[in-house]
Amino acid sequence: MSIPTTPRSKTSFNPVTPTTKRTAATHIVQSSPHYTTTRRHSLYGVEDRVVIDPGSRVWKVGFSGEGRPREVFYATEGASSLWTLRRAADAAERAEEDRMLEVKMEKCLRSVFHDSLLTDPKARKVIIVEHPLLPIYTKDTLARVLFENLQVPSVSFASSHLLSLLAVGRITGLVLDCGYLESVALPIFASRPLFPQIQTTPLAGSRLHSHLRSLLLLFGTYLPPTSPGPVNIPTASRSMRVPPEILTDSILDELLTRCCFVGEPLLSVSSNDTRDVTPGLDEGSETDLPPSSDATQSESDFSHVGRDSNVSSAQASTSDFSVISDPRTPVGADPRAGGLQGLANLYTRHSTATDLRLRVAPLPGGGGLGYATLIIPGWVRERAAEILFEPGDVDEKSVAEVILDALLKVPLDLRKTMASSILVVGGTPMLPGFIIRLHSELLRAIQPSPFVPRHPVRPDKPPPPQYDRYASLRPLTPYFAIVNNPSPGEPHSDRAKNNAGKAPAFTPATMAWVGASLAGVLKTGGVEVSREKWDEVEPMGGEDSAMGDMSTSTPSQSFHADRDSLHQRNILPDWTRIPLPTGVPSAVTRVGA
Amino acid sequence: MPAPSILYHCPCLSTSPVPPPPHLPSSSYSFHPLHTLFFCEECDAVRCNRCVSVEVSGYYCPNCLFEVPSASVRAEKNRCARNCFMCPNCRNTLSVVPSDPPDPGDGRLMVPISAVGEPPFLLYCNYCRWDSSEVGMTFEKPTGLAAQLQKFEDSALDSLEFDRLKEHFEPIIRASSLSSSTLPTQAAHSPHTNPITAAATAALARDIPGVAKYTPLTRSQRGHKDKSANKDEMPQYKSRVDITTASKHGTGGGELDVEMMKRLEDVSEIARLEQRWSLSWTTSIETRDLKPLRIPLHSKRSKRCPACTHILIKPEQKAQSVRFKIKLAAASYLPAIVVALPHRQQALAVESAKRSMVKSTTAPPDEDREGKCELQAGKTYPFNLALSNPLYDPIQVRLSVQRMHVSHSEGAPDKARRPPFAISLPTSPFTISAFAEAWEYEEDDEMFGLDDDEVLEARLRGEKEIKTKPKSVGVLEKKGNTTVIGGEVVIGKEARGNVKFNMLVSFTYRSDDPSPSESNDMGSPSKAGSKVTETKTFAFYTVVDLGAIIPKEEAKYIDDIL
Ligand SMILES: [Zn+2]
Ligand SMILES: [Zn+2]
Ligand SMILES: [Zn+2]
Ligand SMILES: [Zn+2]
Repeated sequence: MSIPTTPRSKTSFNPVTPTTKRTAATHIVQSSPHYTTTRRHSLYGVEDRVVIDPGSRVWKVGFSGEGRPREVFYATEGASSLWTLRRAADAAERAEEDRMLEVKMEKCLRSVFHDSLLTDPKARKVIIVEHPLLPIYTKDTLARVLFENLQVPSVSFASSHLLSLLAVGRITGLVLDCGYLESVALPIFASRPLFPQIQTTPLAGSRLHSHLRSLLLLFGTYLPPTSPGPVNIPTASRSMRVPPEILTDSILDELLTRCCFVGEPLLSVSSNDTRDVTPGLDEGSETDLPPSSDATQSESDFSHVGRDSNVSSAQASTSDFSVISDPRTPVGADPRAGGLQGLANLYTRHSTATDLRLRVAPLPGGGGLGYATLIIPGWVRERAAEILFEPGDVDEKSVAEVILDALLKVPLDLRKTMASSILVVGGTPMLPGFIIRLHSELLRAIQPSPFVPRHPVRPDKPPPPQYDRYASLRPLTPYFAIVNNPSPGEPHSDRAKNNAGKAPAFTPATMAWVGASLAGVLKTGGVEVSREKWDEVEPMGGEDSAMGDMSTSTPSQSFHADRDSLHQRNILPDWTRIPLPTGVPSAVTRVGA
Repeated sequence: MPAPSILYHCPCLSTSPVPPPPHLPSSSYSFHPLHTLFFCEECDAVRCNRCVSVEVSGYYCPNCLFEVPSASVRAEKNRCARNCFMCPNCRNTLSVVPSDPPDPGDGRLMVPISAVGEPPFLLYCNYCRWDSSEVGMTFEKPTGLAAQLQKFEDSALDSLEFDRLKEHFEPIIRASSLSSSTLPTQAAHSPHTNPITAAATAALARDIPGVAKYTPLTRSQRGHKDKSANKDEMPQYKSRVDITTASKHGTGGGELDVEMMKRLEDVSEIARLEQRWSLSWTTSIETRDLKPLRIPLHSKRSKRCPACTHILIKPEQKAQSVRFKIKLAAASYLPAIVVALPHRQQALAVESAKRSMVKSTTAPPDEDREGKCELQAGKTYPFNLALSNPLYDPIQVRLSVQRMHVSHSEGAPDKARRPPFAISLPTSPFTISAFAEAWEYEEDDEMFGLDDDEVLEARLRGEKEIKTKPKSVGVLEKKGNTTVIGGEVVIGKEARGNVKFNMLVSFTYRSDDPSPSESNDMGSPSKAGSKVTETKTFAFYTVVDLGAIIPKEEAKYIDDIL
C-alpha cells in the first residue's frame, strides 16, 4: 500500500498504540489500570445503563461508564431522516406516519439491545439523550417501544445540551448543537437549561446537504465510466454536468465527511492571520469583493472544472479543455445560478483547495464499465458550508447569530459567563475548521456593520437590514471563547484564556453521548420514569390543554403542534409542559421569536 | 418478496386484531413469512420477531467460534478477546504474520503462521494488504493479541479523560446527595430537578444570579461583581488532554486538519465517516491512522412470548450448532399457503420450453414475458391457493377477504391510486386432510368439476365463455394434506398498483387439550359439544399479493409489440 507523498504539515499522533506504550507512555496505563476497569464492570455490570443518543439520522449507543459509544449507525434506511419537524395535516396520513415511525423506532431499538449491545432489555435502565426540539410524539414513541415492546425497567430523558456540558466538566455554558434538522443554541446555568432563551435555526446539516447538492449540480463535473472498445475518449469529451440522481444522500454524506472543510472568512483572506478578527481589521480587505457586475464575469475562471487531478492547484484560468459549467446554461438565465456564479468567481479566486475526484457508482443504464468519477472543485469543498455562516433573517439565522440571539436573552449578569463558555456540538461541527470559523463569525457579527453589504449566498433573499443588532454585546468582545475550539487564537482576556480550547478533546458529535454515559455512572441526569409508572397511566385522548394555543405558531414552531398525539401519556417529563411563572411569555411563543 | 406471495399477520399485542389495509406502507411490517413466525400455545397466538422477548443464552465469536463466558463479555466490550480482527479498510478478517514476511511485494498471499516466525508480529489483510505496522502496531507474541490490544483501549485517552470527569463530579454529587434525596425525582411537574441541579443549588447555598430557585425567569436583584471565574462557582475542570493540545498533533478539526484538507489530492486518504464516528476522542481523520478492529461477538438467542414469557425458541448451547432445543414454529400450527397464478405458470412453462428448443443465447424481450405473466387492467385472472395442514387431525378452513376500508379523510388523488379490483373466493368451509408421513397417504386425489354454486355466482358478472372453461373458483384439488382452492380476480379498467388484499383464514381443529379450564382464548374457540369432541377455531390474517397491475396504456403497448 503506497501512501502518496503529498506535503503535510501534520505529525502523526498515536498515543495509544502498543509500540508507544511499550516505550514511554507508562503513566497512561498507571493512571487507570485495566484491572480496576474490569473489576468494576463485573461487580456493577447490570447497573450500567444503556445510553442511547437517537438522532434523526444517526444513533449512538453504548453503556454508561464508558468513554465512547459501542456502536454508531444510520437509523434511516434510505430516507433522509427518521422524522421531520413537520407532520401531515390529515389525520389518516398522520396516523400512518406514526405507525411508520413506530415501526422504524422499534427496529432500531430492538437492534440496539439485540445486535449492538447483546444485552437483556428487561435488566437495563435506559438513558435517552433528548434534543430539546425532539418532537414529543417521537419521544412518546421511543418510550412506548422501550416500555411495551422491550419492557425496560426505566427510561430517563436528559437534555442533550446539558449532557454535552457535563462531558467537558461544566454545568454552565452556552451550548450550540448543530445537528441535521436544526441548530439549537441553549444557555445552561448551574445545570439548569434556560429553555425560554432557546434559539433555533434551520441552518444545519440538512441545509448543508442541499446546498452542496446545488453547488455540485452547477459546478461539479461527472465523467461516466469509459466505454468498452479500443478508442479511448479523452476526458474532456466525456465531461458532463452532474446528473442529479448521482447525488444520493450517502454520496453527499461521503463528500461532506471526506472532502469538505470550512475556510477562513473571505473578507480577511488577504491578511495572513484570520483567526483574530479584531475590530477594524476586516475592513482592510474590502477590495477583494467583486463589484456586483461580477456575476456575469467571463467563464474562464471556471475552466478548471475538467482539469486532471494530478495538477495540484485548482486555481487560475488555465484551461486544458472546454468547460462544463457554462455554455449550456447562459449565465444569468437562472437568477440563482447567476448569483452563485458571482460567488463562485469570488471563491475560486481565493481558494487554494485542490479539486478532488470521487469514484461513484455510475448511472444505471449509462453504459461503460466500472466506476464513474465525480469532480468536486476545490472552492466547493471549502465554501459549501458558507450557507451556515451567512447572515440570515429572523427565520433563518446563521449559526453565529443563533448563539448571539441566545446571549441577548440571557440575563445581563450572566452574559459574560455565557460568552466565555460556548460549547459547540453535533455532527456538522465535525467539519474541519468549523469551530474556528464560528469564532471569527461571532466576533464579526458583533462589530459595527461594514459599509458594503456582504454577498448573500441566497440571491433570492434581500440583504439583511443594516441595523446594529448586537451593539449591546460588543463590550463582550474580548471574552468570547469557545471551550472546544481546537485552534483558539491569542486570547484577549484572562477569561477567554482560561476557557477557549480548554475542553477535553472529545469530538463534537459524541459529546452528548459521553455526557450521558457520565450522568449514568454518576447516577444523575434526567428524571427517571419507571415501567410501573408507565403502565399505571392510561394513554390520554385529545389535546394537552397547555398546548392549546396553536394559532399563532410560526413554521419554526410547528413541532409544538405535534405534541397532541392520541396515544400520548402525560407521564413523560417535557420542558414544554412546565408551568411558567406568571408574567413570563410561555415557552411556546418564545421559541423562535 | 416476489409476487405472487402470501404473508401472515402478527397482531403484536396491538389493541386491534385487524391488520392495517394492504396499500399502506406500514402494512408490510405487520405481515411476515410463515417460517419466521412462532406460536405460543399458552396464549394461543402467533408471535413474530418484532414482538418476542429476546434473551441472550450465550456468546461466541463468529470467527473462531470460541464460546465466551458471559462474565467476561462485558469487560471485553462484546468483542473477541482472542486473535480475531477486522481490517479497518475493508472489514475482512486479518491474519497474524511474522514481521519478516516472505516478500509481500510479489502478489503472493502470506501464509498465516502458527507459532513459528520471528517477532515482532503483525496483523495483515490478505484482501487489501493493509498491515498493522502502518499504524505502528506490532506484537511480541502471536497469540492473545486482542487482550494486548484491549489494554490500550482501556487506557485510551477517552476512558482516562472520562475517569477524570467522574472524579471531578463525584464530590459534588456526594455533597448534594442529602438534599437531593428530599427533592422529588419522579415528579413530572419539576422535570429539571436532578442531583446536579441540586448539587449546584445546595452545595453553593445561594441563589443563582439572574435565575432564582424554581422561577428560572425572574431576574435577581442582586448584582455580582465580575470575576474571571464562572458564576456557578463550580471548580474549574482541568482537562487531561484538551482540544487545543490534541489539535496541535493534527486531530480535532483544527488548523492542521484544515491545511491537510486544503491540499488533499486523493479522497481515499481521508477515513470514511463510518470508520471514525464511534471514536469519541478526536483522532486523525486520515485513513492511514485507522486501527484494526476486534471482531464483535454474536449471541445465541432464546425467544419468549412477550405476554406470558413462555419460551418459543431455544438454541443449542454450542456455537457451531444451528439446531434448537425448543422451537414452537407457527408453521407446525397454522396451515401453510402457497399462491400461484396459473396463467403465469403456463406462460413461464411455454417460455422455458421455447428457450430450450431454440437454445439461443439472446434473451427474449422482457415485454414478451411480462405481457403474458402480469396482470393487465380490465382483465380477469384465476389464482390458486394451496393450503397444507400441519396437524395430525383434519381441519376445516374458511377463507374470507377483508373488505377495504375507504377512509373518509382521504383525498381524491389517493382514491385514484387505490387499485379497484374484486376478489372471488369460495365462501363455504372446506376440509384439509391430516398431516401424515408420505407413505401413509392413500391415493385419494380428488379433482373437482364444474358444479359449485359459487362458481356460477362469481361468473355471472364475468365473461360468457365460462361454460367452456374449467372451474376456477372453489375447491380444485385435494391431495394428501393439501387442498387447492381456486379464486379469481377481476381487475378494473382504470386500475393501478398491486392486486393485494388481506384475507382472514379461520380453521377449526380438534383440541388435544382435555381440560378446557383456561379462560377463553383469543382465537375465539367455538366449543362444540362436550368433552368428547372438543373443537377449537383459530383465525389469522394474511396478505395476498398477486402482483402489479399493468395500466391500460402500457398493456396496449405490449399488445402492439407482440
Ligand atoms: Zn409480533
Ligand atoms: Zn474470535
Ligand atoms: Zn483489508
Ligand atoms: Zn404467550
